[in-house]
Amino acid sequence: MNTNQKIARTLLTSRLRQLMVAVLSVTFGISMYVAMNSFMAGVNEEQTEIVFSSMSHIKIYNDLPGDAKPILPDSEEENTVLMVNNTRNIRYTEGIKNVEALKQELAKVEEVSGFTAQLNQNIFVRNGVTQKSATLSGIETANEDQLFETSTYIIEGDLFELERRSNGIILGSGLAQLVGVNTGDNLTVSTSEGVSKAFKVVGLIETGAINVDRSKAWVSMQAARQLFSKNRSYATELMVNVKDYNEAQEVATQLSRLTPYKVEPWQEGNSQLDSSSLLRDIIAIAVSLTIMIVAGFGIYNIMNMTVNEKIKEIAILKAMGFNGKDVVEIFLTQSVVIGMMGGLIGLVMGNIIMRIIDNIPFEVGTMTTLPVVYRPYDYIMAFAFGIIITFLAGYLPAKKASKLDPVEILRG
Amino acid sequence: MNSLSVSQINKHFHEPVDFHVLKDISFEVDKGDFVAIVGKSGSGKSTLLYLLSTMDTEYEGSISINGKQITGLNQNQLAAFRNEHIGFVFQFHFLLPEFTVLDNVMLPALKLGKKSKEEIAEKALELLSLLDIQELEHKSAAKISGGQQQRVAIARALINSPSIIMGDEPTGNLDSKNTQIVFDIFRQLAQEEGQTIIAVTHDDEFASNCDKIIELADGRLI
Repeated sequence: MNTNQKIARTLLTSRLRQLMVAVLSVTFGISMYVAMNSFMAGVNEEQTEIVFSSMSHIKIYNDLPGDAKPILPDSEEENTVLMVNNTRNIRYTEGIKNVEALKQELAKVEEVSGFTAQLNQNIFVRNGVTQKSATLSGIETANEDQLFETSTYIIEGDLFELERRSNGIILGSGLAQLVGVNTGDNLTVSTSEGVSKAFKVVGLIETGAINVDRSKAWVSMQAARQLFSKNRSYATELMVNVKDYNEAQEVATQLSRLTPYKVEPWQEGNSQLDSSSLLRDIIAIAVSLTIMIVAGFGIYNIMNMTVNEKIKEIAILKAMGFNGKDVVEIFLTQSVVIGMMGGLIGLVMGNIIMRIIDNIPFEVGTMTTLPVVYRPYDYIMAFAFGIIITFLAGYLPAKKASKLDPVEILRG
Repeated sequence: MNSLSVSQINKHFHEPVDFHVLKDISFEVDKGDFVAIVGKSGSGKSTLLYLLSTMDTEYEGSISINGKQITGLNQNQLAAFRNEHIGFVFQFHFLLPEFTVLDNVMLPALKLGKKSKEEIAEKALELLSLLDIQELEHKSAAKISGGQQQRVAIARALINSPSIIMGDEPTGNLDSKNTQIVFDIFRQLAQEEGQTIIAVTHDDEFASNCDKIIELADGRLI
């Protein structure tokens, strides 16, 4: 410890109460920063989780070309008027014909963390006279569960029962209620082509998204192919998850080279999700920075008071040969120490607050407690901001102290 | 060699009204001299001493110490110069109350950084025992008597073995016995170590025992 640091330490420890107040203001700022950001990130993550419970990061499907190609070339002759009314695209193929080959290609891509094929069609679910339209998903149970953790949303029955019974069906809880069936009951599914088949309800799913719960039904892939009379490599959609969903767009571009089908990352058509989580982040940072700046003013105030109180000591130090730089160092060391202490305590406090919030019951939708994430990034940022702000708040009074003229003070 | 050389010093105070404090002051002090600056209150002797101490830089004329012109140096250069070459004893002790007696004495030497901490502590204890206050070393500087504080301040001024020791009424708060001790120390330092002593004083007896007396009246040398 050099002389200036020793002086700083002595000056700091001689006023413990003041030191405590200063440390507490930093502690408060930093713990609030950690708390706000952990909570907002938790909300974002929860939101994303709900979204991705029924949607994959990337969807591959057979899409119509965006705009109709002109049927006839523009005429060269001046006196000819060319009129083609009501052009439309004709879909020559439906769905993905050879999904197994595509799946093999996907398995080679490093960024892809998982994929599952689906066969989605609109159907009617009938129970006696009650009839509801719904979307039927033929799923590859194991892959589906890996991607969407579907089994965690099962409230009755077992997802894997679909594999064991070719006439098993799982309904969204809302849909089951609408058509008046329970697990174990039978119902009839009819397709738009007029094919009807009896299924037995083997489970109920509640995802928390009411639209999904009221309109979806799940059967095994084989059952769906059979129902719609498709070959054994047919699917309407291939759902792909990537390792980092923020990079879905880049991976989608890469995948589009492998297949002629439309490759759609989740951001396309879901920009509201993107923007709402960005907005929440902005609010969190704005609020927590404000708190930190207020804490910074607290430190500024305290350091300013200290400088005014110690004005005579500063003059004496200067008379003894300490220069302006030494004085800045002495006072800056004090505020940085305050920042460090407040920062470390703040990180611990922030963590404790988050653990408490994490256990507050919040039983809405699929949540049971308030959502919180623990990210080292938040803690590092909080500490860094805390140190920067205390540094600035300490520098201004220190600069003032360094400019002080000792003669004026000592002559009295 | 001249320890101190002052030529054509003029100093004005501008607040509250313009006041010509020091008028055309020139003198020289030899190495090892024991000089007293005397004069009535308001004659400008303290002001002169602050100019000599390099702390006050607002004046016309020039000051040289140990052959080096200090007029015109910047604040940081002056601080380093003060630290090494000048020991100053204030009229009031001006110790740092948060520190112990020993720390107060050691600080200027720690700043200078030419000796190890142990050597500095040893030297500081030596000075304290010379001034008969060695048993106070671990006490807080705020918790000793006024006379003791003044002696600690003197020890602090001596710690770096400065070539010039300046005192603004250095014995003003001391009884006659301790005044005698301090005077003897100054005298000894001047003779044996060749350190120059410049003291502002009201004490006629103190002044009469000095080698040289500079007397000021209304800002002029007499």
